[in-house]
Amino acid sequence: MSWNVARRGIAVALALGLAVSLGPVGSARAQTPKKGGTLVYASVSGPGTLDPYMASSAVELEVINNIFEGLVTLDNANATRPMLATKATASTDFKTYSFELRKGVKFHNGQEMTSADVKASFERYKRISPNAKNLDAVDRFETPDPYSFVIVLKEPNVVLLDVIKSPIYPLMILPASQKDKPARDIEVIGTGPFKLGEWVKDSHLTITRFDDYTADTSVPGRDGYGGRKTVYLDGVRYRFMPEATTRIAALQNGEAQMISSVPSELAARVTSRKDLAIREVFPTLGSYVIVNSQKGLTANVLIRQAIAAAINVDDIIEGAGGINKRNPWMSFPGTPYFLGDTAPTPWYDIKSPARAKELLKQAGYKGEKIVIETNSNYQWMRSTMLIVAEQLKEAGMTVDVQVTDWTTNASHMQQGTGDWNLSTTAFGPDHILGPQQWRPVLYTFPHIVGNEILDKAYAEFFAAPTLEARRASWLTIQKEVLGGGYLVKIADTGRLTGYAKKLQGQNDYAGILQLWDLWLD
Amino acid sequence: MPGPDDGVGEVALIRIVAVKFLQAVPVILIISILAFLLLSLLPGDPALIIAGEQASPAAVEQVRRQLGLDRSFLEQLGIWLFNLAQGNFGSSLVLNQSVLSAVAERLPVTLSLAALSISFTIPVGVLLGSVAAYFRRTWIDSAVMTVALLGVSIPAFWIAILGVILFSVQLGWVPSSGFAPISQGVGPWFASLALPALILSLFQIGFLARMTRSAMLDVLGQDYIRTARAKGLSEWRTVGKHALRNALILIITATGILLSAAIGGSVIIEQVFALPGIGRMVVQAILARDYPLVQGTMLILGFTFVMINLIVDILYTLADPRVRHD
Repeated sequence: MSWNVARRGIAVALALGLAVSLGPVGSARAQTPKKGGTLVYASVSGPGTLDPYMASSAVELEVINNIFEGLVTLDNANATRPMLATKATASTDFKTYSFELRKGVKFHNGQEMTSADVKASFERYKRISPNAKNLDAVDRFETPDPYSFVIVLKEPNVVLLDVIKSPIYPLMILPASQKDKPARDIEVIGTGPFKLGEWVKDSHLTITRFDDYTADTSVPGRDGYGGRKTVYLDGVRYRFMPEATTRIAALQNGEAQMISSVPSELAARVTSRKDLAIREVFPTLGSYVIVNSQKGLTANVLIRQAIAAAINVDDIIEGAGGINKRNPWMSFPGTPYFLGDTAPTPWYDIKSPARAKELLKQAGYKGEKIVIETNSNYQWMRSTMLIVAEQLKEAGMTVDVQVTDWTTNASHMQQGTGDWNLSTTAFGPDHILGPQQWRPVLYTFPHIVGNEILDKAYAEFFAAPTLEARRASWLTIQKEVLGGGYLVKIADTGRLTGYAKKLQGQNDYAGILQLWDLWLD
Repeated sequence: MPGPDDGVGEVALIRIVAVKFLQAVPVILIISILAFLLLSLLPGDPALIIAGEQASPAAVEQVRRQLGLDRSFLEQLGIWLFNLAQGNFGSSLVLNQSVLSAVAERLPVTLSLAALSISFTIPVGVLLGSVAAYFRRTWIDSAVMTVALLGVSIPAFWIAILGVILFSVQLGWVPSSGFAPISQGVGPWFASLALPALILSLFQIGFLARMTRSAMLDVLGQDYIRTARAKGLSEWRTVGKHALRNALILIITATGILLSAAIGGSVIIEQVFALPGIGRMVVQAILARDYPLVQGTMLILGFTFVMINLIVDILYTLADPRVRHD
């Protein structure tokens, strides 16, 4: 099983980043778009919910993203751009955010979207979303007129727009009639270019073109998740196929025109056909060794640093397989918070058992057991931790590897339960959106408690009025997290998708699946 | 014309069915409690799965409260059994629908697969087993038993993938995956299930052929077979009527086991062929710690297996009058 297959179920596996086609996607640009036809997209599994406020998995967001829209979103450069708003402005004290809404935008039920719908959506989000903590500072929402919406905060928040453009738990605008609906129990009505058709769980889901869709005409074409969206397809049929071989077979025999997650060792089955191609989407995730800072030995910073010093990233990349590239930072290159080529930690990939032994000696380590927990569901995680175990043994540490299932492993990491000192996982949108998105992760997975440097850096970050000042805080945060051995960065990772060349119109901004501006030749 | 003891036979049959049915009640109750207990022993948190890996602990706790998972174990068990007594199997945490409707949506897929698979298995398995027994210790016997051994030995997952590549990609005879309900026509329904059912039946054919051969060998050595031959009956009638019918008891038992195995074996087949059946749903439910869905499905499947055994018992009594008179 390859890296790509192994990653398919990761809840945070968002496809955000640059896409590199291994086939001639570029030739599509010379073609004239054709209207009509149904695209069949073979995905790994179906969504659990289409309630955007509860959605964090790629398979959910791949549908939601085409049905709903938010006030603001990510553009091609992953900066903020308006979507249902025409303009978003912050007051000088960053306590009031005002949005002007686009006029004439229709929901799929035919009603026009107004500020009442926006207010109701924000209120529902605050009530039910796991991401609602990001709106804790809201004092009130105001709707001065049907096309104006205002958020008044109790305290300044310089990154509020970054919070509400998040593609994970996306703050999409629903009709006000959904305001009191419980979590995961909405009527699926958005303003997006497609509307929901049929949904047979575990089998397939269809979406159809929304003919009354009101496109954003402020720019000539699409821009990230926003911009001017044109829908050529009559509809899209998502088919849920867990097995990679079956998905590839569906692409080969023409049952599907696009498939997700092609394992790299099976990619040749696609590229060997002249009418099919592979697309490399990179980076999508960053992989890490998670160090439990509240558990026994690894509560000691010297032990954590010894672990970081012993790790050989190149060996892990080679052993775990898939698409990996070295990057010592917690942001992807090309994103606003990427700080350059120099590592923010002295430990990144120094592969030094000798240095690790020195640190262990300073820590007074006497051969006590370090527990590594991994899981049987994701081979790349298991391979990574088995390699890490050998590297730690080489540095003189006693290691006990325990294998459980992913659900247990994830619960232990997230809640700090179980006996583990080390584990591994990968994170996605945090690498695009930056420090505010990272914050809950840092305080949960490695369970950082009482770290004044980190707390102060975050306080400064949220008060910093300029991006430059925020980037300075982010450097301090990364130095503390990676330098203190709470997280050990391994690499940035990507994935492969397959498609029939008759599917035209894909662009370089991959993001989560975008079905507008595509056509079948 | 009815025989003199037919009335007694019918009464005996009804009595047997009633007793077996009553015996099934505690079995199902034990299954239901076991299902609950086993799942509660599993580590992992469904609230975390639903809230998402990156949700804060407070958000996970909120979801836990929404789902009623913050109640004590005994409280949850009590609520579940109380609801069960009223025919309420609960609601899936992940699918956001009732367990009964989730199972009802998927049951036709799994039953279709199992039924089609069994319809391939029985004639082929019985025929191969009978041929092997009749030509015992010849090359024909060896060849048939080798094929049967291969059938039970080859991993279903591997042969399924090869099947997809050969029959779907290379030959284009059947779709690679997916299910067409019978409401779309018998042709599409059969095309969507033919390959998965065939793969599923490979193991079963091997198993049934071996069972049939063993049963037939016992019967073919009996005195009444020799008598039948001595009085000049054709081999066809001797083997087909006297021997095979007497070997039926064992074959019926094997078929009951096979039907249960077909439902169980559908887990892998449904996964490979992307069939939206019970097996695939249960795997996903276990991974997501969707307790009500797993518990409810285990209970329903347990009930199905008990019913299959009951039907097997009834068929015994029909096939072998001695059972009725015991």
